[in-house]
Amino acid sequence: MNETTAPAWPRSDLDDILARTETGLADDLLPVEIFNDSAVFQAEVERIFGRSWVFVAHESEIPNPGDFVQRRIGLDPVIVTRDGEGGINVLSNYCRHRGTQVCQTDQGNSRFFKCNYHGWTYANTGELVGTPFLRRAYGEPLDGKEWGLLRAPRVDSRHGFVFASLSADVEPLGDYLGGAGWMLDALVGLHPDGMRVAGPPDRYQVKANWKTAAENFAGDIYHVPNLHGSMQEIGIAGGLDAGGEFGRPYEFGNGHAFMGIAWTTAVHPGFEFWGYPPEIKDHFDLSGLDEMQVHVVTHDGPIVGTIFPNLSFYRGIAMDGSGLSSVITSFRQWQPVGPGELEVWSWQFVWTFQDEQSALQDAVIGQMQFGSAGVAEQDDTVAWEGAPRAAASPWARRERMMFHFQQGNKSEVDQSPDLTWKGPGIRRLTGFGEHNQLHFYRHWLRVMQARDHSAEGDR
Amino acid sequence: MSAPTPTGTTAVDADVYTAVATFLAREARLLDEGREEEWFELLADDLLYTIPIRQAAEPRTAEINRSAFRLRDNKMNVRTRLNRLATGHAYSEVPPSRTMRLVGSVEVSPGPGPDLVDVSSALLVYRQRGIDPHFDLIPCRRNDRLRWTGEGLRLVSREVILTETSLLTPNLGVLL
Repeated sequence: MNETTAPAWPRSDLDDILARTETGLADDLLPVEIFNDSAVFQAEVERIFGRSWVFVAHESEIPNPGDFVQRRIGLDPVIVTRDGEGGINVLSNYCRHRGTQVCQTDQGNSRFFKCNYHGWTYANTGELVGTPFLRRAYGEPLDGKEWGLLRAPRVDSRHGFVFASLSADVEPLGDYLGGAGWMLDALVGLHPDGMRVAGPPDRYQVKANWKTAAENFAGDIYHVPNLHGSMQEIGIAGGLDAGGEFGRPYEFGNGHAFMGIAWTTAVHPGFEFWGYPPEIKDHFDLSGLDEMQVHVVTHDGPIVGTIFPNLSFYRGIAMDGSGLSSVITSFRQWQPVGPGELEVWSWQFVWTFQDEQSALQDAVIGQMQFGSAGVAEQDDTVAWEGAPRAAASPWARRERMMFHFQQGNKSEVDQSPDLTWKGPGIRRLTGFGEHNQLHFYRHWLRVMQARDHSAEGDR
Repeated sequence: MSAPTPTGTTAVDADVYTAVATFLAREARLLDEGREEEWFELLADDLLYTIPIRQAAEPRTAEINRSAFRLRDNKMNVRTRLNRLATGHAYSEVPPSRTMRLVGSVEVSPGPGPDLVDVSSALLVYRQRGIDPHFDLIPCRRNDRLRWTGEGLRLVSREVILTETSLLTPNLGVLL
């Protein structure tokens, strides 16, 4: 936080570092530099966050006309609005006149955004609708669309999760999500009314690279017994050692990867639906799910997952200090801030059908594990801070230090794809191996190396 | 101690003020010195300790959402957190952060019962974690309710209003 000790942000030659990444990944290795390098970060902001579908809000955050939340796509602040027709707009938060930010709050309700500098005023659809002293200053009205706030050209939602792309040249959201969309449908579609946010996001800044968090939630089950062992020691978690044995990873393409757990095998046959208690489970209506989705949510529900690039979730049973337990659902976004800095945005989700007290219990227990004060997440933040330091290390760079992703390569555990799997993507029958993490990074590399970067000004 | 007044702003007697200010100072020192078990003795059994989520909003009264929390603990949850720290494997606090809690701007007013006092204070926590080359500052205000007991004052409720909307410290592994 104090300038003099801010982390160093080295800058490499991008083509060289991507070539080294390609060579490394062929051998399941990754060069440390990608976790703290300003050339890499700049390219990520342009090539990944500027050209992919990125989560911006859940519809339950903006239920009414005029509602808005301020969010980010990469480094760009965007206003996500619900207009008078019920439509969702994702707008740049920079005035077209001199760039002043027209929205100075995180959320609110307004039909208009008036710039505080000269008073240019925009409707919540982005259109410019007011310029002070119009006749004397401009003579005739400016074209409201031409001079409106920049609009994300593609906005779509899936089960209330709103995604936007700053590039028009992207495949439809459904195609982009692929099997991850299918699994998201299963996660939040256990009831036709779905889930809602329990409140605004818990936000906090960590001196870690956004990829490390995304990779962790893609399926790093290997860290759990070690980093989070304290939770088992004090009796608020159990079976942390079993993740390798009972992990059921999924690779869905496009860098999306989820980790299931064979709950009904690992815990007991009655531990269906992640262990949801009867008062929740009795409301479930699986009529919207297909046969494989029903199988997964009943027996093998995913505990974590990452939708590329930076949306992840956790769902699992959690206990508080009084012995109360809840199955908690937290969606979280890893906002890139700098080469070695991210901001965590963590939402607790509850079922729309839950009453206030039941929803509060789930949200509070969720926060006790995942969030800035969460007894699980606290420890992750510290572990993740190592990679950017290693990446900035002159010694590590000189030695061309690589990170080890070869876990499964000589293991006796069969990690081959499950040939009986009838759902989308690839499913494996063990949590050992780092296939999901590699899936994430291989897609990252593909996007970073894609040659069509015509939108970039500096190349 | 003074009885509540219609405005609710009347200051309490000087000895009550001193006792409360001493309580807050003692609490801060116990936590800075890693004496969490002694601090725990200062908590009432019906403790409610909350940190609501704050956002940039207009009007200002809309900033704090008292139905959404970073943390909402009863005494048993606090016990659980201390138990975890005591394992030596709560890695965000291994080794424990070196902290300095500065408590100030203490205002004391009568509480809603004869044995209760309400306290508003400002807290600035300086935190240096492990081998971090930098420090973190955690600024907040606290709205506390204390109860007089035969063994002295006990903390009944604490609401921590963080100054920041997005924390610049990577976790709330330290007590506020």
